[in-house]
Amino acid sequence: MTEPTYSRRVIDSKEELEAAFSRLREAARRYASYTQEQVDAVFRAAALAANRARIPLAEAAVEETGMGVVEDKVIKNHFASEYIYNAYKDTKTCGVIEEDAASGFRRIAAPIGVITAVIPTTNPTSTAIFKLLLAIKTRNAMLLCPHPRAKRCTAEAARLVLKAAVEAGAPEGLFDWIDEPSLQLTDAAMREADLILATGGPGMVKAAYASGKPAVGVGAGNTPAVFDETADVEAAVSSVLHSKVFDNGMICASEQAVIAADGIYDKVREEFAARGGYLLNAEETEQIRRLMIINGSLNAAVVGQTAPHIAQLAGFSVPSETKVLIGEVESVLPQEAFAHEKLSPVLALYRASDFGDALNKAERLVEDGGYGHTAALYIDPHRAPDRLARFEERMKTCRILINTPAAQGGVGDLYNFRLAPSLTLGCGSWGGNSVSDNVGVMHLLNIKTVAVRRNNMLWFRTPPKIYMKQGCLRHALAELRDAMQAQSVFVVTDRFLYQSGMLTPLLDRLHELSLRFTVYADVDPDPTLAHAERGADAMRQFEPDVILAVGGGSAMDAAKVMWVMYEHPDTNFHDMAMRFMDIRKRVYRFPDMGQKARFVAVPTSSGTGSEVTPFAVITDEESGIKYPLADYALMPHMAIIDIDLMMNQPPSLTAASGIDALTHAIEAYGSMMSTDFTDALALGAIERIITYLPRCYHDGPNDPQAREKLANASTMAGMAFANAFLGVCHSMAHKLGAYHHLPHGVANALLIEEVMRFNASSAPTRMGTFPQYECPHTLARYGQIAKAIGLHGDSDEERLERLIEVIGKLKHKVGIKPSLKAYGITEEAFESSLDEMAREAFDDQCTGANPRYPLIDEIKAMYRRMYDRQEASE
Amino acid sequence: MKTEQILAVRKHKTVYRDGDRAVKLFDTCYSKADILSEALNLARIEETGLPVPHVHEVTKLDGRWAIITDFIEGYTLQSLMEAQPVRRDEYLAQFVDIQLSMHRKTCPLLQKLKDKMSRKIDESELDATCRYELHARLNAMPKHNKVCHGDFHPSNVMITPQGQAYILDWSHATQGNASADAARTYLRFCLSGEHETADGYLKRFCRQSNTARQYVEAWMPIVAASQSVKGLPEERDFLLSWANIADYE
Repeated sequence: MTEPTYSRRVIDSKEELEAAFSRLREAARRYASYTQEQVDAVFRAAALAANRARIPLAEAAVEETGMGVVEDKVIKNHFASEYIYNAYKDTKTCGVIEEDAASGFRRIAAPIGVITAVIPTTNPTSTAIFKLLLAIKTRNAMLLCPHPRAKRCTAEAARLVLKAAVEAGAPEGLFDWIDEPSLQLTDAAMREADLILATGGPGMVKAAYASGKPAVGVGAGNTPAVFDETADVEAAVSSVLHSKVFDNGMICASEQAVIAADGIYDKVREEFAARGGYLLNAEETEQIRRLMIINGSLNAAVVGQTAPHIAQLAGFSVPSETKVLIGEVESVLPQEAFAHEKLSPVLALYRASDFGDALNKAERLVEDGGYGHTAALYIDPHRAPDRLARFEERMKTCRILINTPAAQGGVGDLYNFRLAPSLTLGCGSWGGNSVSDNVGVMHLLNIKTVAVRRNNMLWFRTPPKIYMKQGCLRHALAELRDAMQAQSVFVVTDRFLYQSGMLTPLLDRLHELSLRFTVYADVDPDPTLAHAERGADAMRQFEPDVILAVGGGSAMDAAKVMWVMYEHPDTNFHDMAMRFMDIRKRVYRFPDMGQKARFVAVPTSSGTGSEVTPFAVITDEESGIKYPLADYALMPHMAIIDIDLMMNQPPSLTAASGIDALTHAIEAYGSMMSTDFTDALALGAIERIITYLPRCYHDGPNDPQAREKLANASTMAGMAFANAFLGVCHSMAHKLGAYHHLPHGVANALLIEEVMRFNASSAPTRMGTFPQYECPHTLARYGQIAKAIGLHGDSDEERLERLIEVIGKLKHKVGIKPSLKAYGITEEAFESSLDEMAREAFDDQCTGANPRYPLIDEIKAMYRRMYDRQEASE
Repeated sequence: MKTEQILAVRKHKTVYRDGDRAVKLFDTCYSKADILSEALNLARIEETGLPVPHVHEVTKLDGRWAIITDFIEGYTLQSLMEAQPVRRDEYLAQFVDIQLSMHRKTCPLLQKLKDKMSRKIDESELDATCRYELHARLNAMPKHNKVCHGDFHPSNVMITPQGQAYILDWSHATQGNASADAARTYLRFCLSGEHETADGYLKRFCRQSNTARQYVEAWMPIVAASQSVKGLPEERDFLLSWANIADYE
């Protein structure tokens, strides 16, 4: 063959190797800028050149190594050039290889640099062609480390691939090879490389991994072929012979042992004998054992030799047409020479008492010599699918070949067209390898993933129907019957409401509509799981198709929990209450609701918003823990806002729930997850509460206009925070209320100003994490609230102060005290609860949406300031 | 100094008794470095607390280098085994026990077994292919740091009349993998035609040290290659047949 057009330096020392690496690095640097079109042209030219030289290269390999068969090596060379070209000719390996513009996501392929490739003596030209083509396609330079026994033919393969590549435009010196191989030079080449592609014995692969450089190494095989009793014996035997005789058994995936089911064993034996297998007698078996294995290691003299030659070395003769020597043996332990990988046309034949025995034998053979490599099964998959499944389950091999000659099947694309063509077969962690696939171009690329910042999707969820205006209850209830086709209504309410007779018009109306109904009035403030369980029991008795929750937050929350228990009696509330960062990514999948009953909520106070939120809080009476439940499955199907049920709220309830609604709106507006939709609702709610809460507080029973505005504001705030969520004020209020027994609204009222000042910082210790929250801007958001309610100022700071002042005055007007101390909590009691309160508030579900991510000490400081704060001056 | 009884004659060295001392006298052709290294090895092994003859002098007698050590009175395990073949198993068990007690010691300044083996493979007359395979195999072997005798054989274990065992001849000592040391012992038995003893020894060693036989066997081509350097010409073919192996692929 012709020499390349430029001169090449012989690499036979460390100095020459170092010099070669600097040339390779330069070539790699130049090649890295090639386009996909340029690379594909080089790839094609190189594949064609290798393909054309398949016969001389095969001849050179057999002549130099004294192993294998020319005709079979021709197939390997042909495979390495044609199949690899075909498999990757359209694969994108340069620049952008994947793009999803809508998601802001791109993957860009970059070359690795200089790859050191160790080439085995068993496939010295085909593996060289294979690895060089992969390197070309991935824009890498490559140094080949041939085996000393095959150094000339490997170099020849490299030379002609390089020549064709350079002629097609590749940089000169893109590949090089060690001329005088030694382990020291191979070692040095591994240490210099950017990546090692090691094919060879376990020693070489270990050396690759030990070099400290990233390595794709592949391990040894000891393929068992199990013949199930449903196997087609004729086809199976021919398949094994075809594979085993290939290149005189030097393919690492070749069958080393056949394990035949007892029922077909004799037939298998006869079939082997008829097709060129030679069944060794006891004496010959022993002679082969002695020849093959020397102190547990494979005798190099038998590798890649023909069956007659091996027999002769062992001291007996077999017919010249013998394809494979077969030893009928029993032990699968390493002491049995036939249980080893033989790299020659020598095969072990085992009799399996049943399929379980066959699996045990195959497993042991794989464990001792071919962990992770390949296992084969001959079976009728339609008649014995369960045994096929058991085989797949048990074999710790990365290729499981069915009814396939393993040597040709394992390299892929010949007997199955999804298995990638490759001459380097990964054996996974079982084989101590970094890959379990058939190695291909993807293993020789660095993939850069470009991720452009994107906004998190959000949605707006609300009950399908919200009735409003005084007196709407009549119409809404009619709809239960007419639109929902309800027949049985289960009313959940609290004892006070029921006993006060306030529910009478509602119940009369249900009666009037001929709806069957029952009233469950055993709901206390802070309802417990036990309460809810009792209610759910009653539901199961009554079997309603509508649950009508009438009351404040407690009744509505208790009814929601009863609803869950009624629909899904096995629900685990622990799992359901698990905190989440994103309601759409939570681990717990909330059960579907509404299969048995629809949920209709009728608030009788203006604060909680529970009639339009997917939230409920329930207390575990045993541990005292409050479970906050949140999922859109808990969203009511209908909310009815009718002030007829609200007119006689006592002023203290009006004040606490009104301030609660105000903090809902303020926190929803400040939330990182706020949207234009929630903003409009939140601002509308704030305006109305500030205007109408004092009127309601002072003369609620006689001021229906103020009542209605406040009721609507509470529901609007509920819709805002149902979608934008709340913040750290609620986190802290939950714990403050629990530890010091304050009404929820009062707890929020005590904290809101502290939290607003905290959130308004333009340089917080930590800002919240959410893609659309770009920089701390909560001060401006509060400024917008101030403007919306007509407060002016020269700066957002000033507007914030005005807003805080207005809120303070409002609280004062409705009888809320300025500090926790004023509610009679001693400093001692407060201080002793502080650490725990702060920790728990930090972990509260509401904290996640807060625009400033609070540190625990910061929460503590807010609690402290709130404790003995002085009232804002009137 | 008067040299009395000749205790042993080896290639290029003779050991004499001189009262309570043993004098190992080297021929003039012997490498000075090897002699000093042997003395240094012995001195280092002394520090491990193993029962060995202590070094007293390294000197020149009539122009020849000599190492003077304690004389250990007794019989070698080899001669005991020959004298009482019925007790062979018992002696073999004792032999393995002594070897394992040695392997429990460390001696950080001894040369490293893998370095020595690597050098020996280079010095061997094996062809490049075979050397490449052996280097690859050696490289992949685990690195240990146990005291290895390098020629642990019953002829190098002396049993005193009180029953105390002494380990002699530390010229090949290294630190490394105990299985290599066992493979060396096995080879040594095989070379002297004691195949049955070799097998009995290896089984015992594997059982008593809880080592897989393959693990010891993996060292055999390497120790055979190492032994072929400066080995006896009549052993060469045997050793090379052990060394000519292929690694699985």
